Amino acid sequence: MMRRNFVVVMLVAAGLAGVAAQSPVFQVDPFWPKPLPNSWILGSVTGVAVDSRDRIWVVHRGQDSLNARTEASLASTPPGAEACCRAAPFVLEFDAAGTLVSHWGGPGEGYEWPVSPGGLTVDDRGNVWIAAAGPPDVVVAGRGGGEAPGARGGGGARGAGAAAGAAAGAGAGAAAAGGQGRRGGGPAAPPRPVDAHVLKFTRTGQFVLQIGKAGDTGDAASTTRLNEPADVAVDTAANEVYVADGGEPPRIAVFNATTGAYKRHWGGHATPFARLSCVALSRDGLVYVCDRKNNRLQVFRKDGTFVTEGRVSPATLGNGSVWDVAFSPDAAQQFVYVADGQDMKVFVLNRKTLATVSSFGSGGRWPGGFYGVGSIAVDAKGTIYTGETYEGKRVQRFMRK
Amino acid sequence: MTQTRTTLTIFVVMLAGLGVAERLLERQAAAQARDGMVQAPRFEVDPTYPKPLPNNWVLGQAIGVGVDAQDRVWIVHRPDTLAPGEAGQDQNPPISSCCAKAPPVLAFDQAGNLVAHWGGPGPGYDWPQSNHGIFVDHKDNVWIGGNVGTDRHVLKFTQDGRFIAQFGKPGPVLNSNDTENFGRVAKIFVDPRANEAYLADGYGNRRVVVIDADTGAFKRYWGAYGNKPDDTNAGPYNPDAPLIQQFRTPVHCAELSNDGLVYVCDRPNDRVQVFTKDGTFVKEVRVAPRTLGDGSTWDIAFSKDPQQKYLYLADGKNERVYIMDRASLEILSMFGDGGRQPGQFFAVHSIVTDSKGNIYTTETYEGRRLQRFVFRGVQMVPRHQGVVWPK
Repeated sequence: MMRRNFVVVMLVAAGLAGVAAQSPVFQVDPFWPKPLPNSWILGSVTGVAVDSRDRIWVVHRGQDSLNARTEASLASTPPGAEACCRAAPFVLEFDAAGTLVSHWGGPGEGYEWPVSPGGLTVDDRGNVWIAAAGPPDVVVAGRGGGEAPGARGGGGARGAGAAAGAAAGAGAGAAAAGGQGRRGGGPAAPPRPVDAHVLKFTRTGQFVLQIGKAGDTGDAASTTRLNEPADVAVDTAANEVYVADGGEPPRIAVFNATTGAYKRHWGGHATPFARLSCVALSRDGLVYVCDRKNNRLQVFRKDGTFVTEGRVSPATLGNGSVWDVAFSPDAAQQFVYVADGQDMKVFVLNRKTLATVSSFGSGGRWPGGFYGVGSIAVDAKGTIYTGETYEGKRVQRFMRK
Repeated sequence: MTQTRTTLTIFVVMLAGLGVAERLLERQAAAQARDGMVQAPRFEVDPTYPKPLPNNWVLGQAIGVGVDAQDRVWIVHRPDTLAPGEAGQDQNPPISSCCAKAPPVLAFDQAGNLVAHWGGPGPGYDWPQSNHGIFVDHKDNVWIGGNVGTDRHVLKFTQDGRFIAQFGKPGPVLNSNDTENFGRVAKIFVDPRANEAYLADGYGNRRVVVIDADTGAFKRYWGAYGNKPDDTNAGPYNPDAPLIQQFRTPVHCAELSNDGLVYVCDRPNDRVQVFTKDGTFVKEVRVAPRTLGDGSTWDIAFSKDPQQKYLYLADGKNERVYIMDRASLEILSMFGDGGRQPGQFFAVHSIVTDSKGNIYTTETYEGRRLQRFVFRGVQMVPRHQGVVWPK
């Protein structure tokens, strides 16, 4: 049944293009990963990566993205429930069978844990890089308000007070609690400085390097400062880290991956980037940049020379269509997969032409449905892994048919 | 003679063998019991149910589930709880190619196909400010409650969405002794034999109300322990305080068993109270009594054997379904856990069984799903089954 849907989607896309496009076909695996232990649940997922051992890495927003009253009941004092739930640690490592094999993350000595993580990547030496991207991204907000059916938007509202709703209600007390829009437990903490850094850890979570400093936001010319960077990519051979930096205007900034020393930077081609959300390196040395709100993918050489661009779902408004990319695992990396958290789809692009050849997915909370699919990664077998932010709050995988 | 003796010997040996086998089985059962295994219905989640909705439709808070005589599954959800960013297609101008709000009432066949969709405001009736609960009665009519603001009424429709009746009128909720209107009804159950509707009343009131299912005429009502309802606010639930003599709001379900007992979800009080049809208190049970806030007793369904041996209780706070022995109200086993994957829950709000004994659940808040759990028979199962993926 699922397979038939994917085939239908593929044919429609081919029909639009006017040619019989070849595209990989995928089927969701509803039983990956295995249920988490310890009544752990995921908050809004902001990053997914696959390492050289085909381990799958996930970073999520944890307690800050969970509704303290209705969702993370074990986190309050006294606990609001007997059995469930609490936020899982921020960084989770799964094996291909879906078993949780390590977990770490959170504040520690010598570095600043993000207000909200962004993307993560694992370099070829096994280091785990995390962009510090907070405050979190904003879903286009819903109607607010207590117990009424008016909606709360998805997670991650930047100052929008869009708490996950209370509309199942629990009488007067619940109505009051539901409308306040506060997330996380405990007393209100003073606001934290905005994220302006990237972090490098070993695969066991030992801190290695921080580039930039929280609250110390730089302009687009800065050689030391960042501004809510959304994603990172590492060129292990050149020992360089590429940062999708959200400054004004946004830019790609490149640093030495060991020392953090500035190397170079560049901005959008022709027009400025509008909400940068990813950076990724292909095997043939090209830099792919998600220019999310411009609905485009721009491609550069490593020195920043513009090569080409592709538009994806160009009519999309709101938060835009190009959220994250991953490449097919064949030697030529023939396909680019684009996660589109606004249209709730994954687009399959021909990497050479950047033409859209097919897509899969739709809205919904069932397996294979998406809400805010904002992260994507591919393993050596070609299996796609996705992460959903806002109230999607899950990772899914799609097996190559 | 020799042959007879041989036969007798064989018979005795067989008997002894049976005895040994029986003792082995007993020992095994005892061992399993020691390991936390119990005899109870076993379920497996069906991740392919229902099929993807057409028209890029998505669900808001899924706030009720029912099953009709043809085993079609009816749900009611709240389209307006969808954020504009999620229902991007419905914005003006549209901001994305997905998604659009599904109509509030949806019916699915056993294969998971969408077979009916309707609902929302229309001439001749007041659609609730916040629809809540759905029930399909013995005449195939679909009942809906409402739980916010001026929702003081329940609605009855045909299965194709034609309006039949409205009992109660919108307005300010008065009190739990009002015999004109209700107070934000959470759920309806219609007794086919007496043609009476039992209303869990509700989010505003603290009572069970019984009305004539055709005329809506008030017949009787009662509060906790069969007391006259009293709307004095008892404050938040405290697990260590003496049990209060009234329901706390919301009174979230009122389900009638085949043997004429009414099971009431006194949700924030973490208890189920059982009554005869006339409101005489029979007994109660506390469930996960340290649960605060929304409480633990959200909705009830019964197993499909004629005796309704098992009671299934949805707990949207601890994110699980309890399997209880209906006679003793003892918790035998439970399944589910928090999360967004198949078989996990976020705010499992409503529960119902079909004629085959399968369970259907819906999730409110940001869970927003209908899930099916396929009945696999009564077996030895762990007390905590966790997430019930197919074996």
